[in-house]
Amino acid sequence: MTTTETDSATTETPPAARVTEEELARKARRSELTSRWFWRILSYVAVLAIWEFALLDIFSFLRGSPLDPKLLPGPSEVVATFFEIWGEGTMPAAFQATLTRIAVGFGLSFLIGAMIGILMQSKWFEGFFKDAVLISLSAPGLIWVLITAIIFGNRPLGPTIAIILTTFALVTVNVSEGIRALPKDLIDMAKSFQVNVFKRNRQIVIPHLAPYLFTGLRFGFSIAWKVTVLTEVFSSSAGIGFEMRISAVLFDMSEFLTWILAFFFFALFLEKVVLEAIERRYFRWRQAVTAT
Amino acid sequence: MAEIRIKNLHKEFGVGDDKVVALEDVNLDISGHSFVSIVGPSGCGKSTLLNILTGIETPTNGTVEITSDGHVAAPGYVFQAARLLPWRTVTDNLLFVQEDRSEGTKERCQRYLEMVQLGDKGDKFPGELSGGMQQRVGIARAFSIEPDVLFMDEPFSHLDAITARALRRELHHMWDETKKMVVFVTHDVGEAVELSNRILVFAKGGRLEDDIQIDLPFPRDPADDEVAVAKAHVLRKFEELDLLAS
Ligand SMILES: Nc1ncnc2c1ncn2[C@@H]1O[C@H](COP(=O)(O)OP(=O)(O)O)[C@@H](O)[C@H]1O
Ligand SMILES: [Mg+2]
Repeated sequence: MTTTETDSATTETPPAARVTEEELARKARRSELTSRWFWRILSYVAVLAIWEFALLDIFSFLRGSPLDPKLLPGPSEVVATFFEIWGEGTMPAAFQATLTRIAVGFGLSFLIGAMIGILMQSKWFEGFFKDAVLISLSAPGLIWVLITAIIFGNRPLGPTIAIILTTFALVTVNVSEGIRALPKDLIDMAKSFQVNVFKRNRQIVIPHLAPYLFTGLRFGFSIAWKVTVLTEVFSSSAGIGFEMRISAVLFDMSEFLTWILAFFFFALFLEKVVLEAIERRYFRWRQAVTAT
Repeated sequence: MAEIRIKNLHKEFGVGDDKVVALEDVNLDISGHSFVSIVGPSGCGKSTLLNILTGIETPTNGTVEITSDGHVAAPGYVFQAARLLPWRTVTDNLLFVQEDRSEGTKERCQRYLEMVQLGDKGDKFPGELSGGMQQRVGIARAFSIEPDVLFMDEPFSHLDAITARALRRELHHMWDETKKMVVFVTHDVGEAVELSNRILVFAKGGRLEDDIQIDLPFPRDPADDEVAVAKAHVLRKFEELDLLAS
């Protein structure tokens, strides 16, 4: 071991040039990222500015502002309301209710979807599930939301079933595709080296399926949260959708918008920051593949 | 000492109209410190034979037995394509086929990576390496388990001439030093004559047509008269088989 260490220490000088090259590339990447984020954030600022501006009472020739602040309050007012609601403590409770629903519903949906994906490798089960998968993929989520709201009222089973019906097929399709693309050449290689079946599954089958599962997770999640909020608007007595319904019924537009914005930013955070971080962390090898 | 015994080996793929006979009634014994090359046109069952010998495929009929001093021999296999796990680093790809992850094992893996000139690439993912480098990792992997029998399926066919030459020499040294058995598939007759003391010629339809001993001393220089004569002899066999086939 010591010999190899001194070996690598003596050959350390030439890679120094490469390090600076790598650093330059990293710097270029970072500055590109910064400018991309700048433009992205600028689009939000622009929309908010136009919105606020349209509400100002400066268009005397139009007899008042183009938008009625009672019907559409401006961003500044919404932000003020946001902190007001936050102070009351209703927001964390509502988020918790909604998130619990998503976690339970989508968790079950993921398991069921994956199971069906595995079963569909058999011809008979493929015939059995094929149309169900197709219908789930193509029917608009609103249909399931309405049906489950009618059947289950505000019992928790309603949203759970709506989430399952709208998202299981996305997981099924991805799992099926992953299984069909199993790398036979790698499994054969492992067999010839007498690697046992557990190690083969852990180190070949699961890492191979992981990106497919992850794609199912991402798409499924992006639908699951919309469906969840929608079910809460129609039925249920807690959660973000419920709060939206209450403020709409009370005609409190500022509060209504606050809830919408809060959830929008929250979903954006989960999809863009959390899921993308997971992807970067666990799928580094894929970047290596696509880079070359 | 390793020993391979193949009796009445027959292998078909598919049924009915899709039926393909890959190997037909092959009888063969290989023993001891042999370097056996298998040559023949593409589709004559060379890869299938190695796949059966390494347990990837099962015979339709007949038996194969690979033993080493009375116990089941451990095979190492170098494929035509590298077959590395893309989600594991180079070092982890070697460790994947080991029985344990002890310090001794890790050092051995590192030693074989250095043998193929990839000692500093252990932390890379296969996707970050060139095709030739990936193939060398596949070679290091097979060597690293220090197998009783080393099977190689056209291992150098995708490499550049200089790398292939260096690795051929390395392979010969390893065979010479460890006294292990090597079964080597190639379609390059020159390569077969340079490395082996026995050449098996397969024909279309998976029949073993010829079994040629080459008892020239190593290292063999392709420019050497005797080596050239041996090569010409094998090539002539090839042409005869080609004529028979057409
Ligand atoms: N898994 C398989 N399924 C069907 N046919 C196969 C399979 N593997 C090999 N064959 C057929 O068997 C014959 C021998 O193939 P192979 O052993 O790969 O030949 P070689 O390695 O000599 O080029 C070919 O006709 C090939 O098409
Ligand atoms: Mg082949």
